[in-house]
Amino acid sequence: MSPMNNPQDLNPSSLKSRFTTRFLRALTKINGQKPISSSSPREMFQRYRRIKVAADKSMAWSVRSRRTWSRAMLWKLRSRYSCRQASSSRRSSVRTSTIIKSRQAKTSHEKENKNTTTGQDEVGFVVQADKLRKLVPGGEAMDLCNLLGETAHYIKCLTTQVQVMRKIAHFYSL
Amino acid sequence: MQPCSREMQAINSLLNPTQQIPLHDLQSNGNSNSHQQIQNPHFDPTSSHDDFLEQMLSTLPSCSLSDLKSPWNPTKSDETCPPNPDNNVGFHYDEILATKLRQHQINGGGGSSPATAAMKMMMQQQMMLEGRATAFGRGVGGGLTMPLSLGSGAAGSHHNDIVDGSSFKSPNNQDHGGEGSVQALYNGFGGGSLHGTNQSSNRPQHLNHPQGGTMQAQNFGAIAGTVIKQSQASGSITGGTAAQPKQRVRARRGQATDPHSIAERLRRERIAERMKALQELVPNANKTDKASMLDEIIDYVKFLQLQVKGGGDFIQMSTDGGSLPRNSNGNHTSSSNDSLTVTEQQVAKLMEEDMGSAMQYLQGKGLCLMPISLATAISTVTCQSRNPMINNANQNNGSSNHPLLQSSGEGSSSPSMSVLTVQSATMGNGGVDGSVKDAASVSKP
Repeated sequence: MSPMNNPQDLNPSSLKSRFTTRFLRALTKINGQKPISSSSPREMFQRYRRIKVAADKSMAWSVRSRRTWSRAMLWKLRSRYSCRQASSSRRSSVRTSTIIKSRQAKTSHEKENKNTTTGQDEVGFVVQADKLRKLVPGGEAMDLCNLLGETAHYIKCLTTQVQVMRKIAHFYSL
Repeated sequence: MQPCSREMQAINSLLNPTQQIPLHDLQSNGNSNSHQQIQNPHFDPTSSHDDFLEQMLSTLPSCSLSDLKSPWNPTKSDETCPPNPDNNVGFHYDEILATKLRQHQINGGGGSSPATAAMKMMMQQQMMLEGRATAFGRGVGGGLTMPLSLGSGAAGSHHNDIVDGSSFKSPNNQDHGGEGSVQALYNGFGGGSLHGTNQSSNRPQHLNHPQGGTMQAQNFGAIAGTVIKQSQASGSITGGTAAQPKQRVRARRGQATDPHSIAERLRRERIAERMKALQELVPNANKTDKASMLDEIIDYVKFLQLQVKGGGDFIQMSTDGGSLPRNSNGNHTSSSNDSLTVTEQQVAKLMEEDMGSAMQYLQGKGLCLMPISLATAISTVTCQSRNPMINNANQNNGSSNHPLLQSSGEGSSSPSMSVLTVQSATMGNGGVDGSVKDAASVSKP
């Protein structure tokens, strides 16, 4: 499948075009891996998950590490990947677990700091802020101010993702 | 962070004298005697009035005395005159101030009570300058908290701007529980807003102070009353310190915890900025309440994530060309119907065995079950808006003209379908948007 020509991506370095190229590359790789004839639910699920992971990954890579959420997502993907590999090798699993533990410790520590600081402030949107933190990847370790900024960028990226996917799907269905 | 224009500070300082003088009038008129007695226990220093008076008289030029006296005299009783000039002298350094004060007094002389009249005037003025509801919400919230803290905390609870911190610190520490509170009400946010991105935001915050004050009339009255008394005694201090940088005139109040309050103010403003930016991104952003706005944002993020999932499903379905007949031919109708019929049969078969696997199968295809009522509703609307047969292609174009099917990237129900009852947990969430990937039609046994 040839990459789709998207005339709207006039800016070659825009988020949309970067994401499009990466995602298409990932899709071609996925399609190349498996034959298309599978129709059992399990294999479909696997493909679906792979596509979803490919979408997330390509989106995170398009953003590089400029944003906290993209860094968090990349880290999560990498850790998942290394976890899978770690099952074969003990050393890497130990490394991964220590990394995970240290990260969790850092996150909880930052969370404590954040809680104390928000206690002083009267903003009081802690409930919604927590919900938002769960939604946005990497949101646990951010104060409300940065969290809102990250959310804005994340929303923008998600809308881009949806647009590109729709166009791809439309292209496929023709 | 430097204070903005002199005019701003003039307005800032104007607020104080306008407030203090009428309240002082209240006091001397005897109406506020009860207020005084109530207010007295709130604030600690009351003995410094004489000092304040003397200092004010000594340090400040008296040239404007007559000017200031005249607007007051006709409206107030004579006994208010002697203390008035002291107050006025204490607070008047600027010609701008004098003119504004005169205007305010003239305008506010007919008010029901001097305090409310002045407040109304300030409100009107601020409203004319700029009106923003969001700032009001913020300011009121802050204004409400401030008097409480000030009432209880006395000297230690002033808010201050960096500019005035040094000048106000020592004198304020002693006796500005009340004055500090008034200044906080009127200038704290003014100072904070000066920190803010645009100076015009000062105005609505000035607006906020009077309104916050009216909302907490009792507290404000108490605080202001003591402010007047204290200001009489210690006005010279403020006068002296204020005379030195004319633009810093009680624009901010000195406080021990300066950096914290400033940082908090900054933080609040940054959060407000981000909320505004988010408001533009998220549709249905007409909520003025921050909490509901956050809820809206959360829902929108969930919805987008679902959309991405649905898009992935659809791509998988569409790339899965071998298993189902696709709409690749010209005849969308028959192909879509055929594919769906096949799906229906498979789903029915699966359902006989195990509901879970049936649902999984459907989900793998990017389909879901939905209630018949909903499906008919969608189909009727869909029929009206466009040809349902071309739905697949149209929707993938990202066409959002149909609100119901806006988000779903996949096919929609055709009128001929009948649907079993379902559930998609997210279906209840404001509808159809993220959850309806496709309406599966299953024939009823």
